[in-house]
Amino acid sequence: MVWQTIWSQIIDLSLIAVLLRVMTPILLAALGGLISDIGGAINIGLEGLMLMSAFTSIAVGSTTGNWALGVLAGVGVSVLISYGMGFFSLKMKVDIIITGFAVNIFGSGFTIFLMSKIFGVTGNYSPSKAAPIPTVHIPFIEDVPLLGKLLSGHNLMVWIAILSVVFCMVLIYRTPYGVHLRSVGEAPQAAQSLGIPVTRIQYSALAWSGVFAGLAGAFMSNGLTNMFVKDMTGGAGFLALAVVLLGNRNPIGILFGSLIFGLASALATIVQTVPDAPIPSQFIQMVPYVVTIAALVFFAVRQKRKLATIT
Amino acid sequence: MKPSKMLVLEVSGILMAVVTALLCGFVVIFLTSSEPFTAISALFLDPLSSWFNVGTILNKAVPLILTGLAVSVVLQTGVFSMGAEGQLYMGSFLGALTAVYLPGLSPWIHLPLVLLAALIGGAIFGAIPGILKAYMNANEIVTTLMLNFVAILLTSYFVNNQFKAQGGGYAKMENINKDILLAKIIPGTSAHAGILIALAAVVIVYLLLYKTSLGYELRLVGKNGHFARYGGIATRRIIVISVMISGALAALAGIVEILGIQGTFKQNFSAGLGFDGIIIALLARNHPVGVLIAGLFYAYIQVGAQTMQYGSDMPREVAVIIQVMLVLLVTAQAIFTFLKQRCAKNEQKAVK
Amino acid sequence: MPILLEMKDIHKVYPNGTAANRGVHLTVHEGEIHALVGENGAGKSTLMKILFGLESPTSGTIEYKGQPINFHGPRDAIQQGMGMVHQHFMLSPSLTVSENIVLGNEPKRGPFSIFRDRAREYREVEQLVATYGLQVNLQAKVETIPVGQKQRVEILKVLYQGAKLIILDEPTAVLTPQETDELFDSIQALITEGHTIIFITHKLREVMRISNRITVLRAGKSIATLQTKDTNQEEISRLMVGREVLFRVNKVPAEPKDVVLAVRNLEALDDKGTKALNGISFDIRSGEVLGIAGVEGNGQTELVEAITGLRKATAGHIRYQGKELLEASVAEIRKMKVGIIPEDRQTSGASLTSTIAENLMLDHYRNPEFKRGIFLNKKKIKQFTQIMMQTYDVRAQNEEIMAGALSGGNLQKVVVARELSKNPKLLIASQPTRGVDIGAIEFLHREFIKRRDGGAAVMVVSAELSEVMALSDRIAVLYNGEIVALLDNTPDLTEQEIGYYMLGIKKQEQEEVR
Repeated sequence: MVWQTIWSQIIDLSLIAVLLRVMTPILLAALGGLISDIGGAINIGLEGLMLMSAFTSIAVGSTTGNWALGVLAGVGVSVLISYGMGFFSLKMKVDIIITGFAVNIFGSGFTIFLMSKIFGVTGNYSPSKAAPIPTVHIPFIEDVPLLGKLLSGHNLMVWIAILSVVFCMVLIYRTPYGVHLRSVGEAPQAAQSLGIPVTRIQYSALAWSGVFAGLAGAFMSNGLTNMFVKDMTGGAGFLALAVVLLGNRNPIGILFGSLIFGLASALATIVQTVPDAPIPSQFIQMVPYVVTIAALVFFAVRQKRKLATIT
Repeated sequence: MKPSKMLVLEVSGILMAVVTALLCGFVVIFLTSSEPFTAISALFLDPLSSWFNVGTILNKAVPLILTGLAVSVVLQTGVFSMGAEGQLYMGSFLGALTAVYLPGLSPWIHLPLVLLAALIGGAIFGAIPGILKAYMNANEIVTTLMLNFVAILLTSYFVNNQFKAQGGGYAKMENINKDILLAKIIPGTSAHAGILIALAAVVIVYLLLYKTSLGYELRLVGKNGHFARYGGIATRRIIVISVMISGALAALAGIVEILGIQGTFKQNFSAGLGFDGIIIALLARNHPVGVLIAGLFYAYIQVGAQTMQYGSDMPREVAVIIQVMLVLLVTAQAIFTFLKQRCAKNEQKAVK
Repeated sequence: MPILLEMKDIHKVYPNGTAANRGVHLTVHEGEIHALVGENGAGKSTLMKILFGLESPTSGTIEYKGQPINFHGPRDAIQQGMGMVHQHFMLSPSLTVSENIVLGNEPKRGPFSIFRDRAREYREVEQLVATYGLQVNLQAKVETIPVGQKQRVEILKVLYQGAKLIILDEPTAVLTPQETDELFDSIQALITEGHTIIFITHKLREVMRISNRITVLRAGKSIATLQTKDTNQEEISRLMVGREVLFRVNKVPAEPKDVVLAVRNLEALDDKGTKALNGISFDIRSGEVLGIAGVEGNGQTELVEAITGLRKATAGHIRYQGKELLEASVAEIRKMKVGIIPEDRQTSGASLTSTIAENLMLDHYRNPEFKRGIFLNKKKIKQFTQIMMQTYDVRAQNEEIMAGALSGGNLQKVVVARELSKNPKLLIASQPTRGVDIGAIEFLHREFIKRRDGGAAVMVVSAELSEVMALSDRIAVLYNGEIVALLDNTPDLTEQEIGYYMLGIKKQEQEEVR
C-alpha cells in the first residue's frame, strides 16, 4: 500500500514538488556550510542561524506585510550572528566548534524568548496576515501537462536555491576571492606569505554562511509553513552539515547530496502518512546520518590506504 | 608560575566570565522587561526562597552533573565527543527495558540490574565513535553528532511500536514499577535519591581520573599523545575506553532522570541534557569537582528562569543568553592568555 | 659587479635569550649565485627571516640597491623584488599549478571586474614557463604533481611576483639527483635572465658546483666569505664544523663486555615513505658509549625510533640481550630496561601541561610499589619525585610544578631522571643537550659516563660533533641512511676527519664498517 502511494506520487510528479520543497532549506544551508568549510571553519551553527532567520523573517514579513523585507531581515540577522561567531572564534580564540554549538543553543532559546516577548505566545507563532514568499507560476509552461508540473508552481526560494548553486560555482571558481578562500582554508601560511588577508577572508566566509543559512531559515518559516514553531528546523542544519561533508567540497556535490537527503526526508514524510508502512519512517529519516558516518569512515580508510601504499 | 597561582588565575577568570554573562542577562532584562527588578529578584532569589525550589534545583542538577562528568572524561582524553545525548538515549533505553520487562525481582537486585544495563548500553553505543576515531581516524565530532540522531530515531521507533505502552497516545514505555523508582530524600520537596548517585559519580570519576593508573593514562593521552605513545601507552585503546566511560556516565544520567522524574522511557525525554553536559564540562574545565559546582549553578539558573517566568513578565529563555555568554567567555582562550601574560608581567616587575 | 644586498653586523637575540645571529655580514652582488652555508642552527633561517621582515633584528642594518630598508612583512619584501622559495612548500594542494602561481595577484577581466581572467592567466604563466624553461603542467592540481615540479611552481610563483633576488632555502633537500640537475639548469637560466640567487644549503658538493661566492655561518656568526673557485670542500667543511665550545668529559678508558644491542641490516622508511635507513649494522657492548655522528636528517630520528619500537622497521634485525625487538611494542621494549631520551623533549620527552611528578611516573605508574590497592600512592610518588629532583638537581619550587614551566636544562634533567630511574641496561640518548645550559650539559654528560662505568650500554645521537667526540668510545657516522664510517675514538681522531664522512666526502669500505 505504501509502495502504491509512493508510486502514484512519482507518477503524478507530486513527489518532485515535495522533494524540491524539502531539499531547498538543506541545499541552501549546505551551501553556506560549504563556503565556511572551504575557508577552513566547520560551521556547526547552521541550525541556530536558520532558526534566528526563520523567526526574524516571518516576524518582519508579517508585520510589514512584505515578504521580501522579511527575508532580507532574516538574512541580515543571520549574517550579524555569523560575524559574532567570527569575533568569538577568530578574535577571542574560542574553538569554532564551541562557537557553532553556542549559536545553536542561542538560536533555539532566543527565538522562543523573542516569540513570547514580542507576540506573547509560546510554542508557535502563526501570523494572521502572513506574507509568504510567492510561488512562481510560469505562463504557458504551467499549462503544458508534464512540463508544467515539473517547472511551474514552485516557490521562488526553490529557484533561488538552484541559482545559488550556480552563484557558488562562480564565486568559488571564477573569482580571485574564491581562489583566496580555498588557499586560506587549506594552506593559511601560504596565503599569508603572499599577503592575502587571512582573517578578513575567514570573516567573510562565515558571513556567506550566514547569508545562505539565513535564506534557508527564511524559507522554512515564510515559505514552507507560514508560521514559526519553536525548534522548527528539526535538525535540517545538521543534515546540511552532513551534506557538506559528503559533497566533496563542491557545489554540484552539495546539490546531489541535498537531493538524496531531501528524497529521504520526502519519503519519510510520505511514509508517515500511510498506516502500517513496511519501513518505519524513523529508519528512512536515519538514512542520511548513517550514510554520512559510512562515508566518513570510507574516506578516512581510503586516506589511510593511500598513505599505506606510499610507504 | 606556581600551580596554585595558575588555579587562582583560572578560577578568577571563570568567575569574571560568570559575572559578565550574568550582566549580559541583566542588560537584556532591563531592555525588555517592564519590571526588571522584579524579574531579576525572581531569577536570583526565588529559587532559594523555598525548600521545594531547592529540591527542584537538586533534581535538575542530577542529570547535568552526570552528563557533565561524561563529557569531562572524553575531553580530558582529547576526544571532542558531542555524543552524550545519543549515548544517554541508548543506554537509558536499555535500562528502562530491563526495568519494565524484568518484573518480579526484588528491588535490591532489580535496581542495580537496571543501572548496569544502562551503563552497558551507553558504553557500547559510545564505543562506536571511539573505535571509528581510534582505528579509522573518522572525525568524532561529526560521527557523534550523527549518531545522536540515530539514537533518538531508533528509540523513538521502538517506543512507538514494539515497546509502546498500552493505551494512551503518547509514545512511551509502560510505567516502571514504583519499587525501583528513586525515593524522595528530603521531606516536603521533590528531591530524589539521584543526587546521591550524582555525588557518588563525582567522587568516583575524580578518583578514577586523578588517583588511578587508568586515569593517568586517560589524561596523558589527552595532554600529549606523542608522549603517551613514547611511554608505551596504547593510545587507541585508551581513546575507546574513554568514550565508553563517557557513554556509561551519560546513560546513567538518562536512567536516573527516568527513575527519579519521568517514571518511564518517553520519546525525546532528554531534550538536550547531553548538550547541557558539554556546557557544564566546559565551565568546569573538565574537573569533576568543577562539574559538581557548575551543574548546581546551571540548575540554579534554570530553576531561576522558571521562577522568573512565573513571577514576572520575562520568559524563562532569558537564561539562554546567560548560558551562551558563559560558554563563549569561559572558552575564550584569548582572555585567559591575556590574563596570564598580564600576571607574568606583574611578576617580572615585582622581581625588578 | 655592483652590490645588490648588504646585511651589516646583524644580531638577533630572541626574548628567551637564544642568540640566533651574533654578528653576520652578508654581501650579495648583482647577478651572482651566492651560497649561504652552515650547519643546522647556525643562524641561516633567522637571517633570512630578518631579510624578509618576518623578524626584526636586535641590531644591524640592511641595504638593498644602495638604500637602507626596513621591511614589516613579506609583502614589503615581495614589492621590492625579493622572492623566497621555502624549504617547506607554501602551496595550496587542491588549487591548480597555474592558480598557485598567480595566487594573490590574479589577473582580472578589467580594472573593475571581480572575475578572474583565466585566459590571460594562462598566457602570462605560459610565457614565464617558456622564458625560463621551467616545464610544469599548468592545469594539474598541485597535490598530484611530484616534488620537483612543486619546487618549479614555487620558483614560478616568485618570478610571477617580479622577484629579482631569489632566495632558495635548502632547495635540494627533497629532490632526487636528476631533479637536482634540472633545478641547477633552471638556476642558470635565471642568472642568464638577470636574476640574483641566494642559495642556502649544507651540501658542499652542490655549493662547489653552482655558486660564485660562499658565505659560511657558524654558531650565529659569519665566519668567512670565499670565492668558490679559490676554495675546496675541505676548507669549507673545516670552517663549518669548527667549534668554539669544547665539551670536556673526564672519563677512564672503557671496558666493554657483552654485546647488549646488535643491529643488523636495518631498514626503515621516513614519514613520507622514502627509505631513511638503508642496511644499518652495529653492536653496542655493555660498558661502552657508541656515538652516532652525522648532519641531521640522515636517518638519526628513524634509527632511534626503529630501535625503540615507535617506527616499524621494514627489514633487518634488532637484538637486545639476545631477544628480537623488531615486532616488540613500545611498552614491551620499555619494560626491558631500555632508557630512551628522545630528541624532542617538548613533544615526546615530556608532557608540558603535566606536573613533574606525573612526568616522572611514566614508567612506574603501574608498578605496585607506587600503588595502594587500586589507587596511586600519592605519598610514595611525592617521596620518589623529591628524591629524583634532588639526585638529578632539578631546580623547581616543588614537585607539583608544571613541566612546561621548567627551563630547558631542568626539563631535560627530569627526562633523564625518569629514564635512568629504571637502571637501564641500554640507554639511548638523542640530542641530549640541545638547548641546555652549560652547567646542565656537564651534569648530564657525567651521568651518562657513570652509567657506562656501571655496565650499561649507551648510545648517544647528537648533531653536536664535539659532544659525540667528548662522550663516545666509538663513533658511527650516518650519512644518507647508511653508516659510512665506524671509528675508534682515539686521541688522534680529528673533527675534520669525521666532518668529511658527515658531509659524504669520504666513505669507509664495507669491510671497515663492522
